[in-house]
Amino acid sequence: MRPITSTFASPSSLRAEEDIILIEFGTRKLLVGFAGDAAPRGAIWFGPEQQRRVGDFRAWQSDYHPDWRNGASGDQWGRDYELWRSDVRDLDLGLVGDKIERALRDAFTKYLLIDSRPRRIACVIPSGLSIPLLSVTLDSLFGRFQSPTVSLLSPPVSLAIGAGVRSALVIDLGWAETVVTAVYEYREVQCNRSIRGGRMLTEQTHRFLAKHLPHNQKKPETENPDESQEYVLSFEECEEITMRLAWCKPHPTSATAKPAEGLSTVEEHDESDDRRPSSATEQPVFAAIPLKSTSPPVTLELSYNLLTEPCENTFFDSRYSPASFDDHELPLHLLVYRCLLQLPVDVRSMCMSRIIFAGGCANVLGLQGRIFDEVSQIVRERCWDPVTGKVLEQKRGNLEQMKQKARARLAGSGPAGATAQPGAGEQDGVWHDAANIKPEVDPVDEQLKKRGDQLPQDQGELRAIESIGAWSGASIISHLKIAAVATVDRDLWQQQGAAGASKPGEVDPKMQQRQSLGAGGFMRGAGAGHNPWTLGTWGAY
Amino acid sequence: MWTRGVRINHPSIAASVLEENAAAVMAPPFTPYTFIQCPCSDSSTFNRRSPPSTPTTHHHHSDNDDNDDDDDDEHPFDPRAPRSNYSLYPLEYLLYCEDCHQIRCPRCVAEEIVTYYCPSCLFEVPSSNLKSEGNRCTRSCFQCPVCIGPLSVTSLESHPDPNTLPVPDNPSAAPHGGPYILICSHCAWSSTEVGIQFDKPNSIHAQLAKLRNGGNPRMTAKERKERRKDLAQSLGSSYSSSSASGYTGYFADELDLDLDLETQFSNLKLFYQSQLANANTGGVGSGSSASGSGAGGAFGDLGFTSPTSLSRILNIYTSASSQDKKAKSRIGTMREALDSDEGLKIANLDESEAIAKLHAEGHPGTVSTSQLLNQTPQLHLGEPHLHGRSRFASELRPIPYLLRTKRSKRCPICRHIISKPEAKVLTTRFRIRLVAGSYIPSITIRPLSLPNASTPDPSALRPSKPAQFVLTFKNPIFEPVKITLATPALTPGRFPSKVTVLCPQFDIDANTDVWDEVLKDGDKRRKKGESMDSASGAGGVGGGQHQHQPAAGKIWERGRNWVSIVVEVVPASLRKPSQDEMPVLKEDEDLLEIPMFVRIEWETDAMGDEVGAVSGKDRDLPKLKRELAYWCVLGLGRVSDQG
Repeated sequence: MRPITSTFASPSSLRAEEDIILIEFGTRKLLVGFAGDAAPRGAIWFGPEQQRRVGDFRAWQSDYHPDWRNGASGDQWGRDYELWRSDVRDLDLGLVGDKIERALRDAFTKYLLIDSRPRRIACVIPSGLSIPLLSVTLDSLFGRFQSPTVSLLSPPVSLAIGAGVRSALVIDLGWAETVVTAVYEYREVQCNRSIRGGRMLTEQTHRFLAKHLPHNQKKPETENPDESQEYVLSFEECEEITMRLAWCKPHPTSATAKPAEGLSTVEEHDESDDRRPSSATEQPVFAAIPLKSTSPPVTLELSYNLLTEPCENTFFDSRYSPASFDDHELPLHLLVYRCLLQLPVDVRSMCMSRIIFAGGCANVLGLQGRIFDEVSQIVRERCWDPVTGKVLEQKRGNLEQMKQKARARLAGSGPAGATAQPGAGEQDGVWHDAANIKPEVDPVDEQLKKRGDQLPQDQGELRAIESIGAWSGASIISHLKIAAVATVDRDLWQQQGAAGASKPGEVDPKMQQRQSLGAGGFMRGAGAGHNPWTLGTWGAY
Repeated sequence: MWTRGVRINHPSIAASVLEENAAAVMAPPFTPYTFIQCPCSDSSTFNRRSPPSTPTTHHHHSDNDDNDDDDDDEHPFDPRAPRSNYSLYPLEYLLYCEDCHQIRCPRCVAEEIVTYYCPSCLFEVPSSNLKSEGNRCTRSCFQCPVCIGPLSVTSLESHPDPNTLPVPDNPSAAPHGGPYILICSHCAWSSTEVGIQFDKPNSIHAQLAKLRNGGNPRMTAKERKERRKDLAQSLGSSYSSSSASGYTGYFADELDLDLDLETQFSNLKLFYQSQLANANTGGVGSGSSASGSGAGGAFGDLGFTSPTSLSRILNIYTSASSQDKKAKSRIGTMREALDSDEGLKIANLDESEAIAKLHAEGHPGTVSTSQLLNQTPQLHLGEPHLHGRSRFASELRPIPYLLRTKRSKRCPICRHIISKPEAKVLTTRFRIRLVAGSYIPSITIRPLSLPNASTPDPSALRPSKPAQFVLTFKNPIFEPVKITLATPALTPGRFPSKVTVLCPQFDIDANTDVWDEVLKDGDKRRKKGESMDSASGAGGVGGGQHQHQPAAGKIWERGRNWVSIVVEVVPASLRKPSQDEMPVLKEDEDLLEIPMFVRIEWETDAMGDEVGAVSGKDRDLPKLKRELAYWCVLGLGRVSDQG
């Protein structure tokens, strides 16, 4: 295809370029719309039907049954429903490109109703995406859709902007993994991941349903649940049941009441005890689950209490001790806690009161509240101490005794000493009194103060806020014409590929801007050799 | 629209292989098919970066050595590779550019929109409305959220007469006054199930936008502001709005919970705009920035503010990327949103109500995946974040019809129009439509049934039993063409079948007028008969009585503008030689598909339309040689798994 440079195109194509197309890439779906809209115009989900040949209408035939059983061997169960995997070793990248292309073409035709003139594109794309996948994505955007520039936006930052905050702790309960990202002043400062996400939940649902199938119950239960790799239910059905019926029990000790209301724990306990017997324990309600993909079709009667099992196992896995988890499979409450714990104190205090839940699994009823409560409990129990264990508790007890003794000793020496001492001074005088340290100056806050703005005051307590979503946040960014750090030019990309990207620090945004402004479309090709561009955070992986 | 008449090519597979190697269910009769790979997918940019093949397919390749030999230069096309599903098209889907002499598939055409219209009311929508009103019909056309059937407006007062068909687009058909509802004539869903009624029978879209499920009206921005003021007053004037964060905690909860997505979005947008405006004036504190920044600042200030004439001109004549690269250092000073008027919303994590509802309603009260997918985020803009509640049937919204387009298509290289529909919505005619079927030969496949053949069902291919198929190539153009075929000796995939094209090179006569044929009939017949006789040495060629045997290098049959040849296949056994057990077959793995490279050569008069292409020295040549080459896939049949 011949590239049509915008300089030579007719004025009408210039008009077309005014609309920026905003695409949010996820493992399961694409959200597509125009920048400036409040919500995406359409969502395209990936699935086996999308991968058929054009003109293959067998799915519409009444006697057609998807042949999921034979494709489902081993690891392949449900893989057709994903765009990509982070493990690119045996991933056909060309196929990923084809999937992206077809999905986008569908979306453009069906939802955006646009012609095929080149348009600028902004992508909300996972910041942990590996370079090969990013290259494939950009290749198809530049190659097939002729987009002159593509800007990359990261989902956590977009979510933070979509919630109206500068710092946030974004808990993205995604499909392949759950990513907890700390955003501070619009920068991703830390990121922790766990494979406990939507895929695992669906697999757990499958395992759970398979266990309760009538012909499986007669068999002696295999005690190793991780061994059962034989799939007896179709992915589609398991996913649907997960979407419909998955829910999460509230935290056992505290009700889902907001901590901001300052209820004492005793009251909360009573409240939750009152509520639950009425709904669950006294008259266990059963859910009828019709299953069609089993042979023969069957309807399971399961109590709602049992139905929390997949969710429980996926996200919390409280059967095992916290020490038994590897780094990649931490239960979510521990993951969130660990992420907060690793943050510097200032950042932590900002982030912990701006928790944003996002992602598909945020739709599991009660899950957000449960994670929130679990984390609050850990914080209540352990404060922000990275060291845990029995010995520590012993030592703590000793320390407390020593403190009391010391206090008793100091009681005689006068009131001034007593007020200054607790919490300070004990550690060989290295720690100074926190109250007397001058707080570090925050330049942004200073400027805001000068302007007479109010400063955010919510710090240091756990609080969850609602974001309008990564797509809509990015829509605001693009609409306000805030420059993305990573804006890739078509010509440069096609000449240099991902290898041509510089490190984010090496690119002077002003320089870049001056060149393209001054020289217009003509000089860009000539100056390509020494015009650095960057992939931002995406280049780091 | 020209894609309508495409037949369904694949027969269904009725869950043929069950878990325990069960007996195969008889599949419905198989229709052989042809798919063509558009040559554009070869030059696709993906090829150069993607690995040559995935490890899994590579492993299979090593089974048959013939394929490995030509691996280095050009891969034989593998129709079974998942990628080829994206480049294969039935002939009916392909267009043809007369100027470039190339096939154009839906992937490699440039599209332009002729008309936007609603598929339900068939009203044309001006393109200016799309930007403001979105991609859906804004009249009264709705789809049922349960079964996607059309919804019609009915008066709630009188029960609709079951004999009269509901007319979805004619509001006046709803005879009586009183509240109106949307009702689905297919599944009997009605908007009362989600608690929505309308006062007027027309402009349902506008009415629906103001209603939430359950019938509560949406709070407008103005109402929100007044509400907030009232609340502030009722709490006492001591809380001035300047100490905002102090009072938000007390009573903004209710307003917060009520903050719907659209309002949150617009609040946020306003908030950021005001912050950016402030930031742009360098923290001096002057509120108005619209006029000041454009002239005072550097280039970087453009675009944040209202478009001054300077910025407009610059934006038009500089490259597309320039507006994007604003001085990002300038947006450093921006505070965060503090209350719901600025777009901040405290999350309500207490979902016990929804959980109780789930327990009460169970599986039937929730929606299926496909219903959920039809509920695009746009439909729920009037509500706060639904999160888990989106699963309930009570949260379903009627779906306004998506608008559709009529598109004209151009060749991306020479920009000639290759398909152009009539602009009127109601006509299905095309002004220009260059379908590939009238330029490249069509291929039809039928099993060759010799009189003495013993197989009762010729479409069922038996492993290791040779089977013969007749391929008929029909030439649609008015020049004689020369066709060269090439197939790999073994089909790619796990079960390589042997393929032999008995006559890989032949000529087809031009597609002359039908009457010519009749007039010259006797003459031709005689000629053909002679050639057949002398060539095959077998018996005569009586109409339909094929007494000759297929032989290598010989054409099977020949007509006015068509030629039939014979392909012989030896299907592979679906069992591995080592183990007796059936390996697990993937979907369609028992299909015998032959990749075939087709090369067409013909000569045209170098005339009129090719003036640009023909240089001076070519002009004295009377004929110009053309060629077209592409891969296609022939689906011959299913290999039966017994034997």
